[in-house]
Amino acid sequence: MRDGASMEELFDFGLQELEKRGITYGDIRLENLQSEAIDVKNGSVESIRHGESIGYGIRVIQGGWGFAASSDLTKDGIITTIDSAVKIAKASSLVSDPVVMKDVDIYEDKYLGSNDVDPFDVILEEKLDILTEAESRMRIDERIKVSNAVFRAWKIHKFFGSTEGARIEQDITQCGGGISATASDGNDVQTRSYPNSFGGDFHSQGYDFFLSLDLIERAEDTAKEAVKLLDAKQCPSGKMDLILETSQLALQVHESCGHPTELDRVRGTEASYAGTSFLTTDKLNDFRYGSDLVSITSDATTPYGLGTFGYDDEGVKAKKVYLVRDGKFIGYQASREDAEDCGLEVSGNMRADGWKNLPLVRMTNINLEPGTWSRDEIIQETQNGIIMDTIKSWSIDDKRLNFLFGTEAGYLVENGEITSRIRNPTYTGITYDFWGRCDAIAGKDDWKLHGVPNCGKGEPAQTMKVGHGCAPSRFKDIRVGVGKW
Amino acid sequence: MVTSHEIDAIVDTVFKKTKADELELTVLSNHNELTRYANSKIHQNVAQRDNSISLRVVFGKKVGSASTNRLNEAGVLKALNKAESIAKHQREDPHFKGLPEDVDRKTKNLDSYCKETAECSPEERAKRVKDIVDYAGDEGVDRVYGSLSTSVMSLFVANTNGIRRSEEITKANLTVTTIADWDNDQGFGWGESCNADIDKIEHRKVVELAVQKGLNNLNPKKIDPGEYTVVLEPLAVNTLFTYLSFMGFSGKSVQEQRSFMNGKFGEQLMDERVTMVDDAGYKDMMGFSFDFEGVPKKRVEMIKNGVAKDVVYDSYTAGKENNKESTGHALPMPNSMGPMTMNLVLEGGDSNIEEMIKETDKGILVTRFNYCRPVHPVKSILTGLTRDGTWMIEDGEVQYPLKNLRFTQNLLDAFTDVEEIGTEQVLFGMDYYPLYTLSPSMKIPKFNFTGTTEF
Repeated sequence: MRDGASMEELFDFGLQELEKRGITYGDIRLENLQSEAIDVKNGSVESIRHGESIGYGIRVIQGGWGFAASSDLTKDGIITTIDSAVKIAKASSLVSDPVVMKDVDIYEDKYLGSNDVDPFDVILEEKLDILTEAESRMRIDERIKVSNAVFRAWKIHKFFGSTEGARIEQDITQCGGGISATASDGNDVQTRSYPNSFGGDFHSQGYDFFLSLDLIERAEDTAKEAVKLLDAKQCPSGKMDLILETSQLALQVHESCGHPTELDRVRGTEASYAGTSFLTTDKLNDFRYGSDLVSITSDATTPYGLGTFGYDDEGVKAKKVYLVRDGKFIGYQASREDAEDCGLEVSGNMRADGWKNLPLVRMTNINLEPGTWSRDEIIQETQNGIIMDTIKSWSIDDKRLNFLFGTEAGYLVENGEITSRIRNPTYTGITYDFWGRCDAIAGKDDWKLHGVPNCGKGEPAQTMKVGHGCAPSRFKDIRVGVGKW
Repeated sequence: MVTSHEIDAIVDTVFKKTKADELELTVLSNHNELTRYANSKIHQNVAQRDNSISLRVVFGKKVGSASTNRLNEAGVLKALNKAESIAKHQREDPHFKGLPEDVDRKTKNLDSYCKETAECSPEERAKRVKDIVDYAGDEGVDRVYGSLSTSVMSLFVANTNGIRRSEEITKANLTVTTIADWDNDQGFGWGESCNADIDKIEHRKVVELAVQKGLNNLNPKKIDPGEYTVVLEPLAVNTLFTYLSFMGFSGKSVQEQRSFMNGKFGEQLMDERVTMVDDAGYKDMMGFSFDFEGVPKKRVEMIKNGVAKDVVYDSYTAGKENNKESTGHALPMPNSMGPMTMNLVLEGGDSNIEEMIKETDKGILVTRFNYCRPVHPVKSILTGLTRDGTWMIEDGEVQYPLKNLRFTQNLLDAFTDVEEIGTEQVLFGMDYYPLYTLSPSMKIPKFNFTGTTEF
């Protein structure tokens, strides 16, 4: 079996070794990730999984880029991994231009994220009590075929250091969960989730956030909603005013503003995988992305956001930048290299999925700024509309233009009142046209921060945890009810 | 990679120290290297080495699990203690019937390890990328994108019921996207190849195809959405096939009544020429010969001549039904996903792309689909878009490129109304999930396009 030194000793050793190599640039990121996952389903605790992963990634510039990562926690392992990164960088230089990164402020700092109650200190029985009670309360009817309650927690302790002198230590705790009920009557199957689908909602926060979700209190209503959807009307087809609740609007922001403003995508580095972007650099400051009401930021400082941190994974201090302001496209999420090459500002969005992956331009918290309406006013002022709530299906083209999204539930709004429930709601559009049709955004009181723990990008595939804050909003004359049912 | 000596030491430690009734140890080692290029330059070039162990312990009907990548004695014992602590505080699971027993099942020996792939250097990958970039440049395409990856993965599984298996496999994968620029327009093209042996990746052939597609894809026309005949290349068929599997070929999805297979077993569900199996021993297939519980993979016929026959199981889902056994399709256990297909095969027919085009009065030729998602899994409705090469076929010939189209289609309808199936099956490997597939081309007379995009 393998023996190793402490994290800090290894980090110091790795940094010293990098400094000895005479390379253009080098950084080391050493991380310890703890995770806990509990799934309760249909009366059983389906799984409890605890994981720990420790390792380090070495990034160097020597002609081209090189990156090597290893879980070999020995000094020999560090040396071998640095050798590998340098060798890879030299190989890259066979088919690359010299790499230059934009100068940034260099920090020596420690960052401690919010963690009032450490979820890893809470006894297992307490979490199981909440999940099993919530799960059992959803079994209200024989038509409920699947009832599911979920808890997730992650704790990241990481060091970042570079040959430029950066030395940053960060502790970030993330936590959350959710419930879902799936109903079937033999002809159709419908699911309802709370507070969001695909596991629930998550914050960079301690156990207190999980408790605040009140899963037990919301369980019965969630199951009732699933059953009622079985008898709901099929989503009408045509053009209607569309009101998006925050759980769905978060996805809309993610897919149609978050991804297309990633400058690495714009420059083609995802062209063969995730795709490119319609927001090309010639459009910067000269393109109407949405109506005057629409302002969207990338903000790694949002309190409790799942994309909140002290420093990104190339040592840039967390910041807030505007991507869209008053409807105009004005900013990108940019790495140091992209910013240098394009003559733009660094946004602090370089993030890696754990120690073994290379940092990429990733969303932090992409937030739609609140407006001046209230949710109730938006509904009251809608004559012929449909409310859509909770992500069910999402698809968008590889330049982030044509999208088709489906939600778990819909509600018809007629003459200012919610009149009936709708099943299988879908809507489609072209991104800038859709945001151009935004004519009402609710204010701060209705603004909510959601966590998306499963954003995919990059090769090898990486999954990132990101946040999205938004308030219910209305979009005029949107095509709904797509496809044959 | 973890050596056999290290594995022996870990086995010795955990099996001696455990207080549990049953114990399962999984050791997974990965060594992945990937060279990524964009705008005809290498921009990312990485190597990853990780070894992790997972422990599943059982006290009666209480199960706990923990994993770690700290393979020293302290790390392994910490994970064991954590798994045992979880199990003791766990609730009893009445559906849990114990860890799997070993079975005498012969899985055809997969030829999934290649020394040349395992030892491929960054310089060798860079040379191949340079050749790709140079070829495309000579053909007038100055923007080439993609990745060339090589990986070695080893899996060891042992449990207290006598299972003890290990295997090492390799994978090489090449993708090429070309963007041809001409007169303020862009033509996208695509090619890819997957094999256990990097020397069987014919990178020149792949880039030739991608360049040809890109150059033939300039100035695409926009057409109205609607119902069209489609000729689908193998990658496009593969996407539909894979999503169909995700939506319904797992024993768990059937048990939770969210599969399109529910209530249909024994019925004609698709065209009688459609046969879909999961078969790790199929010719040219890749991957491990056993699953993450150490159970040898069984050939499972999900759809036989269009008739719904069976789905795949792990030990847990098999234990929930009478007369079912694990088919060897477990993911790392325990998990919330359930069993999954890992070696999908869509049987070939007797046609080919050229014949399909020749016999089409009006239709659309599709290279591949992008960002597909189920809209309604039980109704098998999927949406997505065409990507990297879509053309209009008229009077038996490919006439002109098309702007990308969005489809929203019931897949059972698509596989029920099949006009032709190609003979040749192409191998594809997923990048984020241990799934390998063999898919042919296909002609489907009625396919619903519900939108268009701007490029």
